[in-house]
Amino acid sequence: MDKYNTLTQEIIDEIKAVSNHVFLGDAISPDYERDEMPIYGTHKPDLVVQARSTKEVSDVMKICYEHTIPVTARGAGTGLAGGCVPMQGGVVMDISQMNHILNYDLENFVVNVEAGVLLKELQEDCITKGLMYPPDPGEKYACLGGNVATNAGGMRAVKYGTTRDYVRAMTVVLANGEITHFGATVSKTSSGYSLLNLMIGSEGTLGIITELTLKIIPAPKATASLIVPFTDLQTALSAVPKFKMAHMNPQAIEFMESDIVKMTENFINKTVFPKEYRGQDIRSYLLITLDGGSQEDLDQQIDQASRLCFENHAMEVFIAETPTQISNAWAARSAFYEAITDEIKLLDECDVVIPINHIVDFLTFVNKIGKDLGLDITCYGHAGDGNIHIYQCSNEMSEEEFMAKNEQFFDVIYAKAVEYGGEVSGEHGIGSSKMKYLENSIGKTNIDLMEGIKRVFDPKMILNPGKVCHRL
Amino acid sequence: MTRNEIWVYVETENGSAKSVGYELLNAAKPIAYAKHAPLVAVVVGKNVRKAAEDAIGYGADSAIILDGDEYAVYSTDAYTDALTELIRKYEPETLMLGATVNGRDMAPRIACRLETGLTADCTDIGIDEGTGCVRWTRPTFGGNLMADIICPDKRPQMGTVRPGVFRKAAFDAGRTGKIIEEDIHVSMQKIRTSVVKHIEEIAENVDLEGAEIIVAGGRGMGNAENFRILEALADAVGGTVACSRPCADAGWLPRSRQIGQSGKTVSPKIYFAVGISGAVQHTAGMQGSGTIIAINNDPEAPIFDIADYRIVGDLNTIVPVLTKKFLEFKKD
Amino acid sequence: MNICVCIKQVPDTNRIKIDPVTNTLVRKGVPSIINPFDTYAVEMAANLKERFGGTVIVMSMGPEQALGALRVCLSVGADEAYLISDRAFGGSDTLATGYIIAGAIRHIEKLEGIKFDVIMCGKQAVDGDTAQVGPQVAEQLGLPQVTYAADIEGSASNVIVRREVDGGFDLTKVQLPTVITVVSSKQMPRYATYATRSDAKKKTIHVLNSAAMPEIDTAQCGLNGSPTRVVRTYTPVVVKNGVTVEGESAEEIADNLIGMLDAKMLL
Repeated sequence: MDKYNTLTQEIIDEIKAVSNHVFLGDAISPDYERDEMPIYGTHKPDLVVQARSTKEVSDVMKICYEHTIPVTARGAGTGLAGGCVPMQGGVVMDISQMNHILNYDLENFVVNVEAGVLLKELQEDCITKGLMYPPDPGEKYACLGGNVATNAGGMRAVKYGTTRDYVRAMTVVLANGEITHFGATVSKTSSGYSLLNLMIGSEGTLGIITELTLKIIPAPKATASLIVPFTDLQTALSAVPKFKMAHMNPQAIEFMESDIVKMTENFINKTVFPKEYRGQDIRSYLLITLDGGSQEDLDQQIDQASRLCFENHAMEVFIAETPTQISNAWAARSAFYEAITDEIKLLDECDVVIPINHIVDFLTFVNKIGKDLGLDITCYGHAGDGNIHIYQCSNEMSEEEFMAKNEQFFDVIYAKAVEYGGEVSGEHGIGSSKMKYLENSIGKTNIDLMEGIKRVFDPKMILNPGKVCHRL
Repeated sequence: MTRNEIWVYVETENGSAKSVGYELLNAAKPIAYAKHAPLVAVVVGKNVRKAAEDAIGYGADSAIILDGDEYAVYSTDAYTDALTELIRKYEPETLMLGATVNGRDMAPRIACRLETGLTADCTDIGIDEGTGCVRWTRPTFGGNLMADIICPDKRPQMGTVRPGVFRKAAFDAGRTGKIIEEDIHVSMQKIRTSVVKHIEEIAENVDLEGAEIIVAGGRGMGNAENFRILEALADAVGGTVACSRPCADAGWLPRSRQIGQSGKTVSPKIYFAVGISGAVQHTAGMQGSGTIIAINNDPEAPIFDIADYRIVGDLNTIVPVLTKKFLEFKKD
Repeated sequence: MNICVCIKQVPDTNRIKIDPVTNTLVRKGVPSIINPFDTYAVEMAANLKERFGGTVIVMSMGPEQALGALRVCLSVGADEAYLISDRAFGGSDTLATGYIIAGAIRHIEKLEGIKFDVIMCGKQAVDGDTAQVGPQVAEQLGLPQVTYAADIEGSASNVIVRREVDGGFDLTKVQLPTVITVVSSKQMPRYATYATRSDAKKKTIHVLNSAAMPEIDTAQCGLNGSPTRVVRTYTPVVVKNGVTVEGESAEEIADNLIGMLDAKMLL
């Protein structure tokens, strides 16, 4: 068990001498105690630094290293696995004010940003330049640093890959305060261990990411979304692998059931999807986005995708092709999480990844387990890459009962996911909440390897203690 | 030869005047003064003499009344016909109307029939230095751009002006002025629309435009629940709760409480902007406020650029404390 | 019921930003959209056609880029589409625009050999926000108007418009033919289906210039026909030199603020 020191007035004064952005006591917003899933526990930091520069992060880090004070890095706090909660108190290093897009290099197609830039800001800024930053996690108000620290995935992963595929280089402050750079602007490397890739998905346990060099691409010339209704989920999901077989490469393929669509429409006060077709109830949908290098290219893809949907028993194919229609079509999908949290008192979630051919079986299994345990289960997700969001909900149970049932639920379904050859988390990360399931899934040997790596980066184990592989 | 008069249309409903007409009298006063022009209130309706008399008290030099059964309920046809005839008779230099539902319904028709220029939904008026015409200022492109517009050659120069932008003058019961009752009537046969039924919205009717203190929340509030702390603050200071567009879009507060380009325009004495970033879309509707107090955790939020008092910090921490302190202050 | 819907392609004003350095509008990368109120008008027209039969013709005055917007309308319920496009029409204010559109509508009636029962427009275009063109088209055509329509009830011979007014709704009966400006539609604008989109792709969009429409006098179009002049545009930047209220705790900040407000006699 690693031992940490508590902050003394002397250490506080040292930190104040190197940072003008220090918060203490009541001046610390309660937001710093939690992420968006307080169910995994909250903890108040003793001190918050709203860093404005890499040097400031480094200076504070040096002091914390010397005195063995735990430091938890934090961006916008939109995580869902407890990753930014300072389990051992100490210092929270908030990098959300390091929010400048530094410069674009349009010869090498990269952009340099500070780690606190919001995903939404980079995406919108790219669009005004005819560019696209492809990773598209549902939470647009997350910081890019957090996206990299969790290797966030999102809707477009099926075509464009996850955040990892767009990180070329980064500036990192190590546990001892030293500033270093990993990676390079170039796209190929065979130059020793990839420290860059170790950092991606490390959730603040190996170092603090302060600047990023991200790959960008020219924006597609034309985009359209297809809303494809089906009589049931199984039919909808069976259509998904057919796209790959037909050499089609949609940007996104999401599945959703009518219940959550209705709940969300209620929440956003807007009707977005048809609910019935020629007198027949629609039970599930695929939402597919296609993009192309030209309108002709896109038209051809729409033709092909529509025919494919009809061959696979789609009830109809609705096409959204104006910016307004597309954003309407995605309005519900983008608000699922908020809509669920708005209606449900007790909830937990997971983002397992299941090989596409097992999604239907897995979901049938999950729904049955949920029913047996008395939990309300809501699912939606990225049909194209097997990343499923499962929500366990209850408005009736006591918190204690819910936690117990929920644990049983996780034990069973994660075991099943491993059996199918899946992964514990597709994009939210492990944080403190999924450590047990990670170990069950990858085994002790692999966890020990991870912990060993952490000890090399962070000998005093002060960076984000109690997360991913670090057992308190 | 047109006469030099500036006309302000005072809209009435069931005989009583809407505030915007009186606001416009006050707004037009400096122009009338600079141009040595008589300021005339024009009132149309049924039993509207009181509204016309009050217009004098609010700053009109004189008033013209069109009174008749056909004007009891607003109709595009009757009001357009009547006002056009009246304008042709008097040939005023300028006509201002409130940018209300009815004002924006009839003003374009009147302008079209008279083949003159009309500027919609203005947020400021003044005099164009080069031409001496009325300078009509209005937001465009969703409030992102302001435009100054004039009508150089055609008369009357016309504009509709947003309610809530200007304040009424203090009522002066001692002012006197001539009230002319014009005998202009429109045959009922010429009215091609009829209101068969009016349905009151069950939604509360908040008077944001008339509020002296407004406590507004933005996206930073996070959810509908959090508006309770704003309600408490509003109760403490005697204010009214409002919101920015994202909150109304999310259904956290009804549309009737939305302030901004697509909502209401307000100019209260004190405006609390809590968790509002300050997009032009919003500030277009509130920058005329007397004193703006902004609370936001982002020190670079644009709202701070237009705030008189800036509080950088977490609204969940600050607002309840502020509420408590205001209550203590009141007690003392 | 024969219906003409007037639409406009506009920049998505929600996406327009101000360049913080030059203080000018950043238009690059701002998508063009069909004016949202117009999409409700198209939906309302498509719905009326389903109920009462007839033809829906959609028209737009603007540059050639608007062809895409018209094509989309064809895929969601319109039968024919016309683009009214001529350099002489550029720079028109609402009066001149109303004149041109009214003339074009008369011309389309002749070409199609029909009389429109209803002419619909969106309540206003979100770029100009004037809400004046609809009523001015009505005036030019000598038709009655009902503005701010949210729904159309009644029958083809007894049209009742549900009209959004302050504090509620009016149910307004109107004689046909009429102009109706639309604020929302009961149903959200429909999506194209694969079939309706494919049909729309095959249709020809008719393009009319001023030479094709002798009833329009170009002297009354463009800047020449516009009584208003824009003398200046600028970004609404008002920067006040406000005071930052500071304090070690929320209590202290609150006390300081109340002290400052009290000193200025604001309380």
